[in-house]
Amino acid sequence: MSFGEDTSEMCLFNVKDGFLEAVVRGYKLGLLSTADYNNLCQCETLEDIKLYLTGTDYGPYLANEASPMHTTTLVDCCTRKLVADWKYMRENAGEPMGRFLDYCTYGHMIDNVVLIVTGTLHERDVQELLDKCNPLGMFDAIASLAVAQNMRDLYRLVLVDTPLAPYFSENLTSEDLDEMNIEVMRNTLYKAYLDDFSSFVHGVGGTTGAVMGEMLSFEADRRALNITLNSIGTELTRDDRRKLYANFGLLYPHGQAELAVAEDFDQIRSVMEKCPPYQAIFSRLGLGESQMLDKILYEEEVRQLINTYEQQFHYGVFYAYMRLREQEIRNVMWIAECVAQDQKNRVQDGIVFTF
Amino acid sequence: MSTQNRYTCTPTVSVLGVMKARLGGATKGHSLLKKKADALNMRFRQILKKIVDTKEEMGRVMKASFFTLTQAKYACLGDFKHTVFDSVDQASIRVRASTDNVAGVKLPKFESLKEGQGSKLGLIGLGSGGKQIQECRKSFMKAVDLLVELASLQTAFLTLDEAIKTTNRRVNALEHVVKPRLENTIAYIKGELDELEREEFFRLKKVQSNKKKHQLAAEALEKARLAALAAEKEQEEQDKPGPSPILAAIKKVANDFY
Amino acid sequence: MAEPGQGSLIAMIVDQDSATGLLLTGVGHSDLRKRTNFLIVDDKTTQSRIEEAFREFTTREDVAVLLINQVIAATIRHLMDAYNKPVPAILEIPSKDAPYDPSQDSVLQRVRFMFGEA
Repeated sequence: MSFGEDTSEMCLFNVKDGFLEAVVRGYKLGLLSTADYNNLCQCETLEDIKLYLTGTDYGPYLANEASPMHTTTLVDCCTRKLVADWKYMRENAGEPMGRFLDYCTYGHMIDNVVLIVTGTLHERDVQELLDKCNPLGMFDAIASLAVAQNMRDLYRLVLVDTPLAPYFSENLTSEDLDEMNIEVMRNTLYKAYLDDFSSFVHGVGGTTGAVMGEMLSFEADRRALNITLNSIGTELTRDDRRKLYANFGLLYPHGQAELAVAEDFDQIRSVMEKCPPYQAIFSRLGLGESQMLDKILYEEEVRQLINTYEQQFHYGVFYAYMRLREQEIRNVMWIAECVAQDQKNRVQDGIVFTF
Repeated sequence: MSTQNRYTCTPTVSVLGVMKARLGGATKGHSLLKKKADALNMRFRQILKKIVDTKEEMGRVMKASFFTLTQAKYACLGDFKHTVFDSVDQASIRVRASTDNVAGVKLPKFESLKEGQGSKLGLIGLGSGGKQIQECRKSFMKAVDLLVELASLQTAFLTLDEAIKTTNRRVNALEHVVKPRLENTIAYIKGELDELEREEFFRLKKVQSNKKKHQLAAEALEKARLAALAAEKEQEEQDKPGPSPILAAIKKVANDFY
Repeated sequence: MAEPGQGSLIAMIVDQDSATGLLLTGVGHSDLRKRTNFLIVDDKTTQSRIEEAFREFTTREDVAVLLINQVIAATIRHLMDAYNKPVPAILEIPSKDAPYDPSQDSVLQRVRFMFGEA
């Protein structure tokens, strides 16, 4: 990072994006604190949780929910809050920030497209499918999905207009669309998306490039790790596995090559431990204990996300805000589920404290 | 017992034989059914105990399974349930129904049958949470096994319950309706037969006494005739009077008798 | 249509969470005409749809066991009580938010009654 870049950022950032950065930092203050979580853990019923959350930023979204509460409604309400925030920011964003914000949501868009693709193959009702879609990953053409009868039409008529079109055309042939395992397709798309996002943030450069580069390489590595872990013992071949890893990240390329041939958790572990930042993560994990890995990775992610707020004049904070909110929703879901299922002794196992 | 509670039949010795045979059959059937009911009851008790245990176990297992589901949801970035719903194809877990025989009652029995792996779901959650989802899957597998076992027990319970009820009904019917009725019938037939015998005896006696009277009359007649004959002979020997006194004597005797 | 010797199906009338877990195991089935062996009940599912599914599953020949969430069973209790065939066996299962309540179970009620009687 040269001095010149930095100063120009400082001079020019606020002209276009200063307002939204202020907004997002304001939103960030609305995230639940450790004290909030401690209070939530004391709740005995879902009603208590709702009551407590009414006092937070979620208040307006929960106020009109009728009793009895369900965890799904609770999570929906919290998601609505994130979606509303996000929409507000997107509407007020100029370029290239608008594109950056869009990029953040492509992950959800991929999930939605995959959902619709499978739904179409099973001749589900379109309206029903749309209800199930993640609101963050909506795109304009999504409603016209009903016209597509088969995968080729779906691509030709609908997907081609979405930002995801290049991911499809570059990575999948039309035969793939019909035959490929849906999970492989999803991860192929996601890989293309991560590569694209990474090159985009490097194109933006400056602090954004640096901060987001770090975040995305963590994301890429985590995905590589997860894919390896989850494909052990399945029919996914080593070559296929290799193809799903993103083309960047701390593990790229040597660590990935080793991951591709890993056959059990200990092998994965030894690969990961060669990489200093991950050594620390794995050292927190007991030997042969893979259960807590998800939570530790979430914690690491949250730590990195919060660090993005240490710097100013970059877009990373928006990405961080979305991710932190999502983690928060996961936390709320966990607490609510623990309470609803009478498993309160497990409640601490799932919360990733943000502040 | 009153005369109503018996079979209508002609009270003859052969019918009595039939009824006695029927009573024997009923008694034998009754004891056999009683044994069957006991066997069923024994099995029933066992099942009852097991059902209560398994149901409670099921509650626990399901609760644990739901928690693994929550863990899977937590570990998974997206919502995976729609993927699950949409990948339903051919069932890989089915149940095979066979029958178990307890004292002649066929009890349906279920066994879970696994055919291969749900290959479509093998890669679910590849990007995130797959491991947790597989854990969840395993946990629910266990739950399904338990549910199938429970279904078996429950069906056995209902079938046995029904079988025991019918058996008990039969036992009771034999004990309280058929047997008393047969016994009544037998008693009735015996009574009738005795009555008939008594009538016969009386009739015989009457005939006998009549016969005796006739015999006496005939004897008296004979005597009178003999006496008259003797007197006639005497008369003839003495003075040979006319036959009219003899006739008069015979008439007199006959009149006395009739 | 159950092919002979292939065993029968486990049908389900359950909420989304139970369905997710159960379908993960591979009990779900959908035949050529896209007829499935499960009904996923959410807020929008009508009472008559549940009743219809119940009648369908209890009369289908290829169904041996019918799983139904206890909370859903409570809404069609009249059908449950009127049902007296041994096969398909109807099992009430707990749902995620409602832990299993043995006192609600119609079969277990009978069991308890028997025990009390014994």
